[in-house]
Amino acid sequence: MRRADVVAGASLLALAVAFSAGALTHYSYWGPNGPGPAFLPFWLGLTMALLAALLLAGALRSREPGDPWLPRGEGLKRLAVVLGATVALVALLNVVGMVLGTALFLIVLVRFLDRTPWPLTLAVAIGTSGINFLVFTRWLKVPMPVNALGF
Amino acid sequence: MDFANNLALGFSVALTPFNLLMAVAGVVIGILIGALPGVGPPSGVALLLPLTFGMSPTSGIIMLAALYAGTMYGGTITSVLINTPGESASVVTCLDGHQMALQGRAGPALGIAAIGSFIAGTAGVVLLMLVSPALARWSLSFGPPETFALMLLGLTTVTLLTGDNPVKGYISMVFGLMLAMVGFDIISGDARYAWGIPEMMDGIDFLPVAIGLFGLGEVLAGAEETKGQPFPKGRFGLRQLMPTATDWMRSRWAIVRGTLLGFGVGTLPGAGPTIATFMSYALEKKVSKHPQEFGHGAIEGVAGPESANNAAATGAMVPMLTLGIPGSATTAIMLGGLMMWGLRPGPLLFEKNPEFVWGLIASQYIANVMLLVLSTAFIPLFVRALRVPYAVLMPIIIIFCITGAYSLKNSVWDVGQMLVFGVLGYAMKKLGYSPAALVLALVLGPLAERALRQSLIISDAGLGIFFMRPIAAVLTVAALLAVLVPVVGALRAALRRRDSANRAAG
Repeated sequence: MRRADVVAGASLLALAVAFSAGALTHYSYWGPNGPGPAFLPFWLGLTMALLAALLLAGALRSREPGDPWLPRGEGLKRLAVVLGATVALVALLNVVGMVLGTALFLIVLVRFLDRTPWPLTLAVAIGTSGINFLVFTRWLKVPMPVNALGF
Repeated sequence: MDFANNLALGFSVALTPFNLLMAVAGVVIGILIGALPGVGPPSGVALLLPLTFGMSPTSGIIMLAALYAGTMYGGTITSVLINTPGESASVVTCLDGHQMALQGRAGPALGIAAIGSFIAGTAGVVLLMLVSPALARWSLSFGPPETFALMLLGLTTVTLLTGDNPVKGYISMVFGLMLAMVGFDIISGDARYAWGIPEMMDGIDFLPVAIGLFGLGEVLAGAEETKGQPFPKGRFGLRQLMPTATDWMRSRWAIVRGTLLGFGVGTLPGAGPTIATFMSYALEKKVSKHPQEFGHGAIEGVAGPESANNAAATGAMVPMLTLGIPGSATTAIMLGGLMMWGLRPGPLLFEKNPEFVWGLIASQYIANVMLLVLSTAFIPLFVRALRVPYAVLMPIIIIFCITGAYSLKNSVWDVGQMLVFGVLGYAMKKLGYSPAALVLALVLGPLAERALRQSLIISDAGLGIFFMRPIAAVLTVAALLAVLVPVVGALRAALRRRDSANRAAG
């Protein structure tokens, strides 16, 4: 965790400096009507820089590495699969469409996690996908992402 | 006070079939969300908010408030039965509640929790009803400096009370404020930090962020669990739930104390149901004639906190409705919802939208009754629901997150945002940052900036305005104390460590 704190501290420090500098260079600090669009962002950046420096200093000074924050082994594999499947679904949402995407996503994940038996897996995939479809079309009345085939 | 007329209006709104249905749905979903680990009140409210877009704001808030009340009980079920808190306001219930279950007394534990929740919730609504109109009218005297100071106080106290590391808490808060700066600035017309991307020019909406941080983030945190899923055994019919006369004698005052403490704590910006439960437990232990029983099945240890969390959830709605200052992540998201529906909290809300406010209040009375019924007669149903495997539940929640984020503006960009904040939420949880502070800052940021700028225009660029007007001065000083107290505490702790290290070495 200590390493994560160091990385976080350094990145936030850089971000904060860029944030404040960007504010001052692109927008006005004070306008005819009082504080301008750069006013609060500048001070926020400065505050964040201070906080990030404190975090960084504390992390650099501490001797112990702290607890590991990422899981190992099986836990990491599960996390990676869940995250990967989610990223894939979002990235391909407009390609495969919501209905098909939901069904595939659920089949893959529900089966992978805990080796859920196929009947339950398929029931969940089809059922959820159907309910999702109804939520979009009947309840929210909002157009869904669809694929080339129209669903 | 025109309570009779207002209440009559309120009940006429709350008793329509649709609103009754929304109240029931809210309580049921709330209990489920409270019971299921991996989803808590903030995620529940964030995920269901998109579903309210098609209905009137009044129906929406009725459902969400009923949901909030339901979650306070839902977590109790798992705390008592399987020693796993369903959400943070039921952590304390594990201590004595589960012990009671191990002694074969799970029924009375759940029963007294249900009764206490009902009494506290109803009393809370009465207090809400009595206190809110006066408070809203008082806030009429608030100008921009008072508004800014109050928001500052709200932000700093949430940060203070969530998490162990103040630096990380403030980092979360400031990061949320920075996110709030992105997008169109109404006063100047500049599009800040948008880099020409149209979606960025609209700013960063709180809802995909909230769904990501609390919804997806918690699912990811749960995904790495490889242990098996425990589930409760036993029968929980109505008869098993009845507490004995002794139980009742011991719990009565715990319930009263929990209610008053909980409501008071809930109304404070920054303090919510979770803190109320810890305080209630400590209080009960202190005033008890047999404190050694605590941790081994003392029923007061269940009755007090369970009442406190329901009273606090109701209390938390007071500052949200009257001042526009949310006291927790859940009420922050509710406030975001209010703003989405075009409603501004404060005295105007009470005047221009009485059916909204009083409909909500009347509906809360009804919701508490429903909660009592559902939490007693229907416990077996909820226990059965806990048997659903995580492997099925987690992916379904993810689908809900995606649907919810998409439905805001029909935009995959928002879904992408949700995904990014989901990963961020996971990292924040593991590394000790506060997602609640971030969401609160994101929701309040634009409002706070406007109040700040207006104040500085009035004062001609002087910061003294925050200290010269009496209300603003009190609030500003309180906010500064909230910042300084942990800093001083951390400094003293560091000095003490250095002293003891020096003494050990030399």
